[in-house]
Amino acid sequence: MKLGKWYVPVALGVILGLVAGSIVSYIRPTPTTEGEQAVSGAFVPPGKKDEYYMFASGGHSGQVYVIGVPSLRRIRTIPVFSRDSATGYGWDEESKKMLGGYTWGDLHHPALSETDGEYDGRFLYVNDNANNRAAMIDLKTFTTKQILGPIPNIMGPHSAAFVTPNTEYFMMATRFSVPMGGKYASLDKYSKEYHGALSAQKIDQKTGKMKVAWQLKLPPWNYDLSDAGKKISGDWAFFTTYNTEEATELLEINASANETDYLVAINWKKAEKAVKDKKYEVINGVKVVDPTKVEGIAYLIPLPKSPHGVDVSPDGRWIVGSGKLDPTVTVYDFKKFIKAIEAEDFSGTEKGLPIVNFESVKEATVKVGLGPLHTQFGPDGYAYTTLFVESAVAKWKLGEWNVLDKVTVHYSPGHSSAAEGDTVTPDGKYLVALNKLSKDRHLSVGPSHPENMQLIDISGDKMKVINEAPIDPEPHYAQMVKADKIKPIRKYEKDEKRPHSVWKKEDVRIEREGNHVTVHGLAVRTRFYPDKIEVNEGDKVTIYLTNIDLDQDITHGFAINLYDIDVEVQPGETKKIEFVADKPGVYPFYCSNFCSALHQEMQGYLLVKPQK
Amino acid sequence: MGLKRPRMSMRSRGLILVGAALLVISIYFPWWGMKLIAAMYPEGLDLLVYPYKLEGQLDTINILNHYIGMREIHEGDFPEFQYIPYAVWGIAIGFAAAALTGSKGLGYVMFGLLAIGGIFGIYDMYHWLHTFGTQLDPQAPIQIDPFVPPVVGENQLANFTTYTGFKRGFYFLILGTVTVALGLWGDRLWNEKSSSAGSS
Repeated sequence: MKLGKWYVPVALGVILGLVAGSIVSYIRPTPTTEGEQAVSGAFVPPGKKDEYYMFASGGHSGQVYVIGVPSLRRIRTIPVFSRDSATGYGWDEESKKMLGGYTWGDLHHPALSETDGEYDGRFLYVNDNANNRAAMIDLKTFTTKQILGPIPNIMGPHSAAFVTPNTEYFMMATRFSVPMGGKYASLDKYSKEYHGALSAQKIDQKTGKMKVAWQLKLPPWNYDLSDAGKKISGDWAFFTTYNTEEATELLEINASANETDYLVAINWKKAEKAVKDKKYEVINGVKVVDPTKVEGIAYLIPLPKSPHGVDVSPDGRWIVGSGKLDPTVTVYDFKKFIKAIEAEDFSGTEKGLPIVNFESVKEATVKVGLGPLHTQFGPDGYAYTTLFVESAVAKWKLGEWNVLDKVTVHYSPGHSSAAEGDTVTPDGKYLVALNKLSKDRHLSVGPSHPENMQLIDISGDKMKVINEAPIDPEPHYAQMVKADKIKPIRKYEKDEKRPHSVWKKEDVRIEREGNHVTVHGLAVRTRFYPDKIEVNEGDKVTIYLTNIDLDQDITHGFAINLYDIDVEVQPGETKKIEFVADKPGVYPFYCSNFCSALHQEMQGYLLVKPQK
Repeated sequence: MGLKRPRMSMRSRGLILVGAALLVISIYFPWWGMKLIAAMYPEGLDLLVYPYKLEGQLDTINILNHYIGMREIHEGDFPEFQYIPYAVWGIAIGFAAAALTGSKGLGYVMFGLLAIGGIFGIYDMYHWLHTFGTQLDPQAPIQIDPFVPPVVGENQLANFTTYTGFKRGFYFLILGTVTVALGLWGDRLWNEKSSSAGSS
């Protein structure tokens, strides 16, 4: 019997072990860690497409990044204020002319065109904080179609950009106050002779192109951020200010002294009317309205401690200002504001502008956390405020004014971007935190770090970080639009009437007029017509090149060795290239964008005969 | 006045008229087509042949074909496009006349013409496929053996699979032919009945 006893526990042990093991291995495939859950929520499998486009500013790269959400893949870079040899932007005559000799820009705040306060997917407007310019990207081609400026009388239009609810205007206000009209005045005359300005660019609804319509002359403060009103506040726009102290040195200390700075409320319809009534002066060719002389255009609302962001709720009623040195956001009621200005409930004036009584218009102060910068909205009154110092996003509710949830992000978010977040009907679902620091979050690439985008699932009660991706410096603001609203073309249409285009090799020609050689050529898989261009040293050369490959994604490049030229021609497109053949010798030209199996053979020669 | 010719029954005449209409309709739909599919062309490149024109991504197909030295395909190179629509219209009008007059003889003549046209059409199709597939430029960057794509079927050439076959217009053509044939053939049956009914 002893023999019978020893194997019973052994057998039982083996059986139990097998059972337990199979149960464990059965349970295992379900995601248990946060990381595994995150992947399942944001993963876009091969062959599938993202749900949203996000247009992120590229900051001092001068570009716009097109990012898919939820995958956070960067789909494209659209060059705007900087040259981009990858797309030949800045080498052909059209883009060269648009860039106007500037080699970079500081692109801060993208604004999608709107119809009735909804993104309509037609155009994207962006600002250049460095060179006082505005630009328009056509979302049919995802290319820059206009660069306006430098616009006179403004300096550093950081306080941009927004479009009014039906894209009537693209507005920008100046971060830096300077003497208007490019004049000189010493810093001790700052308070009197320096001015801020708001520039309103009227938009042509057909072409999307802007022109400077009018400007407002404003007190010499720093205008930081802005947002257009919506629905009931649709005629208004709101700007935050700092340095109402009017300091000209060590702003870090001297511009942080006042307990409150101002939120500037502008009635742009009234400003428009003032221009119509000829109540303006012309400075540098621009109609400039002085709101201290025309009533009803500008009001000041006190806002605590060097505010940064201002954001208007989807229904247009609540105006949220973030005091970056105060752990709160202050919410104003637009209805109370209108009552106050009608009752002239003012606590005084500054620089000739009425100050609305703070207590009369303030609705709530929400203790969101340290360093609040910007607020985005979801549906049902949820608001999401980025906390730079605390490195978190706070979720709170309009009407209840209490913080419901907080999620840590990595690290120090600037703006965030919610799905359709700046429209009158936000989608909720996704919020991307645009973090200024990435530190240890990605494989190290040395001392210069990428920025860090983090995707937050905002569909439930608790926010969850479900995806993360590095990005080149430096997205400031971004707007996220439902993918089906954007309808890009796949190629340019064959247009035989287009000036200088040639579509048949029989029409290709090289013509000389004095010392100006003009080439009408074409590119097709896998040849250039002509593939021999003979000129004399010192000749001016103009080349019109048409890509007659009317086939999606068959892009041809045109690069000339040592002549510093690189242009891209899309299917069906005609580009103009111009240069002076100042270097004698033989210079191959070739297709710089891999086009097909015989791409390497796609080449020709520029022969520059030396002068005797 | 010669012999009184037998007239076709109303049912036959109706069928022949419908058949004639179908023949005309067929002109305005593609008769034959070719679809080229490759890894980078998952949506395919189409070449559609109407009796009077070519449609599809002809430019792209020509650009791709130049690699193997195939002649460029241009609408102007096919004289058939000038007269096929008129021939079909002519035959259809002939059938309509036969239907209206009830002339069985005219019906048979038109059917004969239609049959000859059909045989010629198939031959013509093959002739062009043979011409384009075998007269390849010997200096082309990619050298391949001459080939003849099938009138109906599948062909593999480098990275492209080519599917060729008849299209909607051809089916109208066939339906029209069958309808007139039915009218002509069925007349024996129906006309006997109706004539015997008339003589009683």
